Amino acid sequence: MLESMSSNATVAKIRALHGRMLTEENYREMLARRSVPEITEYLSSTRRFGDALKDIDPMTVHRGFLETLLEKENFDTYIRLCRFQQLDKLPFFDFLISKSEINCLLMLINSINSGLDRSYLDYLPGYITNYSGLDLLELSRAESFTELVKLLRTTKYYKPLVRVALAEDGTVDYTECERQLRTSYYARILNQAEKSFSDEEKDEMIKMLKDEINFLNMINAYRMKAFFGFTPEQIKLHQIKLPGVGKKLDNYYELDTPEQMLDWLSRNEAHQEFADGTKIEVVMQRNKYKRLEHTLYRSFHAPVVLYAFTQLCDFELSNITHIIEGIRYGVDPVYIENELLVC
Amino acid sequence: MGIEKMELVSLVGQMNELDQCLGKCCESGCFHIQPAFSSASAANGLTLLNEKNGYAPLLKTFERLAVELGIELKETDYSAYSPASPEEFSQRAREISESFEEANQKKKDALQKVAQINETVTQIHHLKGMNINFEDIFSCKYVASRVGRIPTDNLAKLDYYDENFFFVPFETQDLYCWGMYFCPEQDKALVDDLFHSMFFERVHLPNFVKGDADNAIKTLSADMTLQQQKADEAQAEINRISIRVKDEMLAAYSKLQYLYGTFELRKKVGYLSGKFYIKGFVPIKDKKRFNQLMSTLETVSAAYMPPDADANCTPPTILKNSWLTRPFGMMVEMYGLPNYGGFNPTAFVAITYTLLFGVMFGDLGQGFLVMLLGLIIGRKLNRDAGGMMVRCGLSSMVFGTIYGSVFGFEDLLDPLYEQLGISFLPLKVFSKTSFILLTAVAVGVVLIVLSMLINIYIGFKEKDYEKAIFGCNGIAGLIFYSSIAVGLVGTIMFDVKIMSPPFVICLIVIPLICIFCRVPFSLAVKYKKFRLSADEEEKMTIGGFIVENFFEMFEFVLSYISNTMSFLRVGGFVLSHAGMMLVVMTLMDGASAAAQPVILVIGNAFVMAMEGMIVAIQIIRLEFYEIFSRFNESDGVPFEPVKVQFNAQTE
Repeated sequence: MLESMSSNATVAKIRALHGRMLTEENYREMLARRSVPEITEYLSSTRRFGDALKDIDPMTVHRGFLETLLEKENFDTYIRLCRFQQLDKLPFFDFLISKSEINCLLMLINSINSGLDRSYLDYLPGYITNYSGLDLLELSRAESFTELVKLLRTTKYYKPLVRVALAEDGTVDYTECERQLRTSYYARILNQAEKSFSDEEKDEMIKMLKDEINFLNMINAYRMKAFFGFTPEQIKLHQIKLPGVGKKLDNYYELDTPEQMLDWLSRNEAHQEFADGTKIEVVMQRNKYKRLEHTLYRSFHAPVVLYAFTQLCDFELSNITHIIEGIRYGVDPVYIENELLVC
Repeated sequence: MGIEKMELVSLVGQMNELDQCLGKCCESGCFHIQPAFSSASAANGLTLLNEKNGYAPLLKTFERLAVELGIELKETDYSAYSPASPEEFSQRAREISESFEEANQKKKDALQKVAQINETVTQIHHLKGMNINFEDIFSCKYVASRVGRIPTDNLAKLDYYDENFFFVPFETQDLYCWGMYFCPEQDKALVDDLFHSMFFERVHLPNFVKGDADNAIKTLSADMTLQQQKADEAQAEINRISIRVKDEMLAAYSKLQYLYGTFELRKKVGYLSGKFYIKGFVPIKDKKRFNQLMSTLETVSAAYMPPDADANCTPPTILKNSWLTRPFGMMVEMYGLPNYGGFNPTAFVAITYTLLFGVMFGDLGQGFLVMLLGLIIGRKLNRDAGGMMVRCGLSSMVFGTIYGSVFGFEDLLDPLYEQLGISFLPLKVFSKTSFILLTAVAVGVVLIVLSMLINIYIGFKEKDYEKAIFGCNGIAGLIFYSSIAVGLVGTIMFDVKIMSPPFVICLIVIPLICIFCRVPFSLAVKYKKFRLSADEEEKMTIGGFIVENFFEMFEFVLSYISNTMSFLRVGGFVLSHAGMMLVVMTLMDGASAAAQPVILVIGNAFVMAMEGMIVAIQIIRLEFYEIFSRFNESDGVPFEPVKVQFNAQTE
């Protein structure tokens, strides 16, 4: 009973925070701006990002730093929520840290592959280093994939990465690394959810995670077919595979053409026709957005609501980035608006 | 009083008159547009005109111009404004933009310089601790140096770069660390690039900044004042231009809004072989006027059909109410409009709501104040809400007179009744508690029976026999409910043995069986065929049928009892109102003579505000749950005449 009440307080807090998130109206007002400083000024006047941006000068701030600050705000919010009722004592709740670590590792692998030895450090979000169990700065000294794997020997990322074979030129298959890391991430948090949560919490959490995996697999499979002409076998090989996940997608992978895949998605997932020129990612992500908002308001379980909330924050950030880039490159506001992930 | 009659209109014309035709539809204010076809199968070769609205980016352009010129966008007459095509609007937007571009650029440059100088001054404040002449640092031949700030989170990264540089921090805050980096002149580009990638914000100290920090701040402050003056002058120029172009901007924007809105309507227009097709509903009373408007267009012809001519279009509902009942229409709309061809319950609601309010909140004085308040609200805020309050206030005055209550004084009207020789009035509430409660239940029974009668009427009108005859609110339900009511009243109150076996079998058991078997019975009447479920594909077993209907019957019987008992609250509030006023009177009696008027006013105001609100809400509850739920389907589509709304989207 007490546990449930404590969880309710976190849920209520998250819902209150969700109420402060940017709305369609805010995005529209942002679109009426002509430059990044104007957007920065607008964002710093909102309740959502006012505190995070209070010390910056909109006229001089770098666009990349602005985005990092917004990401940091989301990350700090997540940390505050986890600490609010000491949820961070459960291993499950480091999911966002794990996700960020994986992104950093992938960035490093990309940097090693392309020989840009400094780009990893450039893009490494500084705030992660305070929370990560990895020495992310020290990892920058790795000059090859083999060295990186050696440095990761005592960590949870060693096993997934050591399985990936090196090419003759010393590079490594980036997509395979990503697949391995993400598979191990989902396997770990599914396992933690299974062990740590009550029945109802577990069911809701596992359903949401499986939906997320299926979503990634569906989008990836479509891209592989449409842009690289992969065969069903190749597509299956590149999916995140976990026990009990995505069995219904086997038929989808078997489809011969991207058009058939779109048709399948419109019938089974999007529940709407894909108009000409519509990006499937936008339609699918809008659907996911709706589902997450539904979960956030329907569920009473803190882990489920928190997980949904962090993803909604990612969507919001993606919208802001999209607007900033659109405005920078002088894209028609109507076009930008059509691509926003809103319900 | 009923529902406004409609006709389905089909407009066909040449494409060159499409915009004018849509404009006339908007102008008419009585055309409820429908998509030209609702499914591919109904399209018959028609395609919807789903074109990109070319006016959308222009709206944004004009909104931006308005923001820059400081013009507040509002709707204005644009009949004299000639541009009509997107190209013409675009041209005008360019011209307006060019007219103040120079001043705007001057202002932006000046403000940017002000911001830069401001930033420099702030920076120099952070450098005060250096106590070094700037010229000494920046004049180094082999060493390059940069002043600025770097995000604190990125400080730790500096140790991991191999490039030849060092960073000297001066002041570390939450977000930034202020400082300076030095590197060999030949590595300058590489190190600059590195710091840029870490979001180092360089502050350019102007060349004229000489000496130490204090001198620099003085010089920069003077320059900042100068730049601010330039910005103000440019703004004054923009203001002058703004006054000059304001009228044109407003007219252009209003016209654009209209053109954008009408263009958006094209999404519902069908196209085939060079002709457009528009479909919609028009109230019969407006048909003539609508026809006249359409006749002004050369190629457009309008064909009128019965409202049910197209199965894909649902006719919209307009409630037709008299002046007396009109304010209560909003309650019906709140619950959900009846469908076209359904029953308009506004009059029924108006009568029952007004009567129940009067009964529950009967006070001559307070009713008068409610009526006055209603008149004010009706004029100033909301006509319908005010109208409801006036009617409720009048009802409250009538029942207040019957109760003999004026602002809580229960004996004030006694001499009047004595003089008139009416002995049974006023009705003393506390001495007739049982009478009031039983009357309340009786009122409830009457209202429920009336609701059932309305339901039966609607059922027969729609040829829905389950609803009209066999349902719990149909004839079977009416007989069952009335018989139980009559039986109980006769047995308990008048000691008449009505509940004889024939009475029970004919008027209670048989109706119950009808309700239990309402689905197969109604199907048998309608299709002359025996089936347990209305859904042909559903395989309903006899066991399933019995279990399902047993629980439904249980719910029906419970609802008869609970709905009837629910009306006890009417009596309850009569007593509660009198009780609350009694408290006010008792408080007043115990107070000093000076305080008595104050207590009377505050007490009356409190009771009026609190109880008036509660009574109003309780009656809404009775109307919606006990009455409406018995007959109102609320699946109607509201009549929404097509129009273009002015909606300026600026801050």
